[in-house]
Amino acid sequence: MDERNFTFMFYGFLAAWLIVLLYVVLLARRGARLKRELEDVKHLVESSQTAQQTSYTKDKL
Amino acid sequence: MREKLVIGLSLGAALLLAYNLYEIFLVLPDEAMQGAIYRIIFFHVPAAITGMVGYFVALVFSVLYLTSGNFRYDSLAASVVEVSIVFSLVNIVTGSIWARIIWGIWWTWDYRLTSALVCVLIFGGYLMLRRAIDEPTQRARLSAALSIFGCVDVVIVWKSIEWFRTQHPGPVLSIRTGGGHIDPAMERLLYMNFYAILMIAIALVLIRTRQEATAREIDSLRRLANAA
Amino acid sequence: MIQACYTACTRSWVPPELRTFMKSLRQALSVARKDLAIELRTKESLNAAGAFAIAILLLFSFAFDPFAEAAREMAGGLLWLVFAFAGALIFNRGFARELPNECLETLLASPLSTSSLLLGKAFGNFVMLLALELISLFVFGIFYDVRWWLHPLELAALCALATWGISIVGAIFGALTVNLRLRELMLPVIIYPLLIPLLIAAIEITDTLLANRPITAYELLWGRVLVVFDIVFTALALALAETILVNQ
Repeated sequence: MDERNFTFMFYGFLAAWLIVLLYVVLLARRGARLKRELEDVKHLVESSQTAQQTSYTKDKL
Repeated sequence: MREKLVIGLSLGAALLLAYNLYEIFLVLPDEAMQGAIYRIIFFHVPAAITGMVGYFVALVFSVLYLTSGNFRYDSLAASVVEVSIVFSLVNIVTGSIWARIIWGIWWTWDYRLTSALVCVLIFGGYLMLRRAIDEPTQRARLSAALSIFGCVDVVIVWKSIEWFRTQHPGPVLSIRTGGGHIDPAMERLLYMNFYAILMIAIALVLIRTRQEATAREIDSLRRLANAA
Repeated sequence: MIQACYTACTRSWVPPELRTFMKSLRQALSVARKDLAIELRTKESLNAAGAFAIAILLLFSFAFDPFAEAAREMAGGLLWLVFAFAGALIFNRGFARELPNECLETLLASPLSTSSLLLGKAFGNFVMLLALELISLFVFGIFYDVRWWLHPLELAALCALATWGISIVGAIFGALTVNLRLRELMLPVIIYPLLIPLLIAAIEITDTLLANRPITAYELLWGRVLVVFDIVFTALALALAETILVNQ
């Protein structure tokens, strides 16, 4: 049998797994980025709410 | 709950794949005419089926979104399309590598391969459309409409082997031919690998859907912060 | 024709379903007439599409020997590529011309049904694309010495079927991409993969007609593909017109 058969079979399996692995890495990076963004936006909301409460209190006084 | 499901699916897939790989490499003999390279079929065909089924599942979720307006369906549709494209790419690349040995060429323009590539292009356009629209409701609505159109092309892909004379091998699975075209042991392993790949696909979809929900949460918190 | 539809709408002996259909058709034809009137006055789409089509034909004549036998084999493919690429310029303008002065919102708020609006835009695209095809065929016949008039009826039927398919797809996706910031880029990216089955069918039949070969069952099969494509995409487009155009 053609010896390239085994090499190309290996390439085939490698390609299949590489594509799936690349996608998993992409998902992981996107997940980490979203997590960071969520933390940032939560802080932003908290700080804007705190600032709003402070100015409301000042107005009251 | 979702994390447990993802871990469970991944572990199940890993175990099943390990068993399947043992069978593929150590138990099954070489195919009479193709030699060792035929083993690519155990990833090529399951990836193809996963991709195609995924497009239809995305169609169902798109229609569900259009009828109910629930963004969860939109997230599911987008996630399923993305994962289906990945497995369609696996299908095309493994097919090309197989074809290089068996047909002597990396690619041929027969209708089956062309349609598979067209599916990837259409749903790639779906993902591009989603990135081009910022407003969530408009994005969900328009991408749902596009996925409905896209699935019409998937139907043409399915039917292409029967409609046109093609260089791609004809159907071999018993559910399409009634039996006799493929060794039963190979066919069994094909289905086993399909289940493994399906489990991986579902796990990836669940992770991606969670990310879509997080993105929506970020978007609504930003609006809240800007409103304040 | 619009008058005939109006007459059909108002006679009591006409069944209600037919009356509704005639009303929709009348509205669609009114939209098409408006678009064609604007186009006849300004000629912006036709000029751009026509110039683009001639440019492509010219460039292809440098890419290969236009009088070689191989070029004649590719004639059908070349023609339909020209129509598809130049057609995108026409479809881009279809709904985009309604954007200034909130004309699109006005049209959507009017008693005009969204499917009639879409159908009207598709009719307009159809007529403009047919005009472009006629011009391109003349230029093509001269540049490439191809006698395209040998089977006029078959070619006309093919052009009508394939052009309608391209027009309806161009109209619905013109509507879908009208409010996007990258409209000119997104429209071709979305419609060309969808049009591939139609283009293949049209190219196969055109190759046979231009080579003066008889129509066989193979070409008739492709003709059926064209008909099915037209019916399915027209039905889908009309069903999804409201979803795509109206902001809910």
